[in-house]
Amino acid sequence: MKEYEIVVGLEVHAELNTKSKIYCNCRNAFGLEVNTQVCPICMGMPGTLPTLNEKVVEYAIKMGHAMHCEINGVCKQDRKNYFYPDLPKAYQISQAEVPLCGKGYLDVMIDGKMKRIGVTRIHIEEDAGKLLHDDAFAGSLVDLNRCGVPLIEIVSEPDIRSSAEAKAYLETIKSILQYLNISDCKMQEGSIRCDVNVSVREKGSTEFGTRCEMKNVNSFSAAVRGIEYEAKRQIEVLEAGGTVIQETRRWDDAKGMSIVMRSKEDAQDYRYFPEPDLLTIVVPEEKIQALKESLPELPNAKLQRYVFDFGLSQMDATLISEDMTRSEFFDACVNRNVCKPKSISNWILSDIAKYTNETGKTIPETALTAENLTALIEQVEKGVISNSSAKKVFAVIVEEDRDPLAIIEEKGMKQNSDTGFLEQLAKDVLAANEKSVKDYQNGKTNALGYLVGQCMKASKGKANPGIVKEIVTRMLNA
Amino acid sequence: MKLYEKNAAELSQMLQNKACSAVELTQDILSRIDAVEGKVGAYVTRCEDCLEQAKAVDDARAAGKTLHPLAGIPIGIKDNISTKGIRTTCSSRMLENYVPPFDASVMKPIRDAGLVITGKMNMDEFAMGSSTETSYFHQTHNPHELDCVPGGSSGGSAAAVAAGEAILTLGSDTGGSIRQPASLCGVVGLKPTYGSVSRYGLVAFASSLDQIGPLGKSVKDVAMLQSLIQGHDKMDATSAYLEYTDLAENLSGHVQGLHIGVPKEYFGGGMDNAVKESVWTALRLLEQNGAKIKEISLPSTEYAINTYYIIASAEASSNLARFDGVKYGYRAASYDGLTDMYEKTRSEGFGDEVKRRIMLGTFVLSSGFYDAYYKKAKLVQRRIGQEFAEAFQKCDVIITPTTPSPAFRIGENIDDPLKMYYNDACTVTVNIAGLPAISVPCGRSREGLPLGMQVIGSKFAEQTILNTAYAYEQLVGGFHVIPETL
Amino acid sequence: MKIDIAHIAKLSRLQIQPEKMEKFEKDMSAIVDMVDRLPDMTDTLTLDAENPMHLREDVAVAHKFRRDELLANAPEVQSGCLVVPKTVE
Repeated sequence: MKEYEIVVGLEVHAELNTKSKIYCNCRNAFGLEVNTQVCPICMGMPGTLPTLNEKVVEYAIKMGHAMHCEINGVCKQDRKNYFYPDLPKAYQISQAEVPLCGKGYLDVMIDGKMKRIGVTRIHIEEDAGKLLHDDAFAGSLVDLNRCGVPLIEIVSEPDIRSSAEAKAYLETIKSILQYLNISDCKMQEGSIRCDVNVSVREKGSTEFGTRCEMKNVNSFSAAVRGIEYEAKRQIEVLEAGGTVIQETRRWDDAKGMSIVMRSKEDAQDYRYFPEPDLLTIVVPEEKIQALKESLPELPNAKLQRYVFDFGLSQMDATLISEDMTRSEFFDACVNRNVCKPKSISNWILSDIAKYTNETGKTIPETALTAENLTALIEQVEKGVISNSSAKKVFAVIVEEDRDPLAIIEEKGMKQNSDTGFLEQLAKDVLAANEKSVKDYQNGKTNALGYLVGQCMKASKGKANPGIVKEIVTRMLNA
Repeated sequence: MKLYEKNAAELSQMLQNKACSAVELTQDILSRIDAVEGKVGAYVTRCEDCLEQAKAVDDARAAGKTLHPLAGIPIGIKDNISTKGIRTTCSSRMLENYVPPFDASVMKPIRDAGLVITGKMNMDEFAMGSSTETSYFHQTHNPHELDCVPGGSSGGSAAAVAAGEAILTLGSDTGGSIRQPASLCGVVGLKPTYGSVSRYGLVAFASSLDQIGPLGKSVKDVAMLQSLIQGHDKMDATSAYLEYTDLAENLSGHVQGLHIGVPKEYFGGGMDNAVKESVWTALRLLEQNGAKIKEISLPSTEYAINTYYIIASAEASSNLARFDGVKYGYRAASYDGLTDMYEKTRSEGFGDEVKRRIMLGTFVLSSGFYDAYYKKAKLVQRRIGQEFAEAFQKCDVIITPTTPSPAFRIGENIDDPLKMYYNDACTVTVNIAGLPAISVPCGRSREGLPLGMQVIGSKFAEQTILNTAYAYEQLVGGFHVIPETL
Repeated sequence: MKIDIAHIAKLSRLQIQPEKMEKFEKDMSAIVDMVDRLPDMTDTLTLDAENPMHLREDVAVAHKFRRDELLANAPEVQSGCLVVPKTVE
């Protein structure tokens, strides 16, 4: 079998979390009783007209900046015409020729390395309603609540080469949307959906293979499964001497397979033309710049910094960077410059994560401050207190804003790291345990643990166990 | 003189002077409707509560409230303008029983001012036609000659004014649909500048060309009604931000020094001689009173009809796609599955002319044809707009005939779409360029049928064209709108 | 010009009755021949930045219309939903 390469392009649809819909002032809300968030405009009643929500434009431009896109400050909207019961006007107001955001890119991390994925465009459009099916009922039911919910569609270049890359790309987009607070990103509510374009080609080839578009991909894991299935299917077709046919397929995640929806010949003719009910969108350059400056440092940039500047693992760096409150806390701690970023990361991902999970609080909702945590870590790193003592101190400072040094003092947690004192202590313990010393010298290395334990006991637990171990080992081997 | 024979300006005075009451006036209109509606057929739906509306105005006046000058004046509304609680059919089977849950934006000032809404006026189906013959319900007849069409698509609106079945009416104009029937019925009709009257609630035919406008017996009548309905509306993104002034108060009646452009392309071979002669007689009269006549050229006029039919049909094909039997309107009685339901509903619900335009629009937008038709038409549209803009550097108004010929016989053109389309030859350019234009009665044909003159202005120059039309009206001693033969 | 009426009708979700087909085809091709006559234009369409659109403030208004009011014109309603023939998913 020849070696193949997978080529993937993604079209991501994300619902924006504006207060009102894109073209009318109905509430933009999910999960309410059918056909109650509807008005004559989003219901497509004769004579009604759209008016564009300014926040939709702002949010899309923010996303455009986050993906390094050219922003088209002068653009328009177009009608995409097709008949379906969930589309009351029988056209979707979208953008065809001139999208709000043009070419850009997104840097994502794959196996510890950065990969740049091209972005073709980001445009604004309206969502459609929902069809409800019930086997007991002969027809389908139409709920129009979702009609007119604002969407951005992010179209990537065919730069993605594996399902893992696709997943990293999607997750990066999701965390950016959350950072910008422009989408709720609730997968189970369908607030992010994607269409996947897949083709395969022989490794080394510069030509693209024939692609298939897969619709109905409703989760990131479904995207991974869909891409793998589709690539395998296409490779099998080629290996059997066949040719891949350009078509649109529907992904059935429950069955783990895609089925043909329509072939290229049946391709829809959407008859796009400029939306005559709306004038040109003109966003002044100052506003475009102001939106750019309003962006926070984004998760993919943070990830890169955490891995390359601080030496965190990709896994740890991802876990911190993808969560805005976590990463803000991490950065605040790092900026104090008193302990290792790696130690901060460990605390955030273990004790702090455990606490926030159990209490349902976010870090800023706890009493923990960057100052207190780093002061505590500093004491551990300096060997002033043991890890287990630190955990006890943490339990206090996460509940109330107190100086960890005072707690250490109060509870007498300080360790003894005085080498002279500890050497004397070790000498005494070794002298009192000749049998164990012999055992060790005869190869029973676990006697070391016993001797260190005896030293700790003799110090009433105050000795720095690391230093004690070092001294005892040195003396035994002398 | 009966009340129904008077114009809105006169009746406004009488109502204010208590020379008559709104109830008396409305009763007079209702009895006139009873007398002639059987012959004219201007209405699709009549409002049962006219007298109550009129009584409310009289009560308010008796209570000493300050009322709008048009309070108590009976008005008919074209049946493509949404009226809350009153069915709005667009003269189509598709919307035979459709009752909008909301009012078009223009209805608010009309209701607030206390005009008495008499009913909904017949029209060509979805405003597609020039004769009101494509109405699903019935034919409207020209009050001047019942065998002739009233024009269209606002045929009911124009015929009602000419027959005294309403004092004022609202129409809509996409390619001449106010001006052409106004001309054929011998009344005054104004197509305002695109963006000056809200389109919210006007059932869209061609969104970039549609405008609601007034029809009445005199220039002052339409100026009064236009002053009432013009203005910015935040519900319509294409509505202009502008300070509007009262047009009726500022009618001067002078044309001294007015530069009138006369485009030669509108006086060509396709035009009836009587039409050309009548308009030139009017021009000479204006010239004798101080206007300056200048022959101009608008060379792209020859492409106007083609451009218009491409753009209007393209937009219509999309605007009318929502009539699919799901949310409102007609649904076929039997079908097999979703696609069949769509196709049967639309095929049974729409008439042939609507189908032709939807198909033309679908064709010009379809893959492989877009550039050659739609895109090119948009380019020609821009050129036509530029030619007008250049012309208005040299003149204040442009005067042309409104229609190439007087009213034609019912059935005469109905089987020949192209012949029908050429009725719009003089009017479509105005919509393509988004300009205001008014049609006023201007002489008669040999058979005694009304002819019309069109006065075109630059964008938002309603006052200038109304002044010009008003001056002409004064010079000819007023328009005698209601035919004695009816 | 000959138009593929069947294709265009399908796109438009219209059915032309067989007995009307001939006249439709004749009328349509006459209309297309008419509108076909346009000058050759080489310039390109540009967006009208001089006439920008005013955007709407993002404010939501709750329940302006009752559901039964909005669905009153619908041919078929069930449990607050519009009803259509089963869509094949």
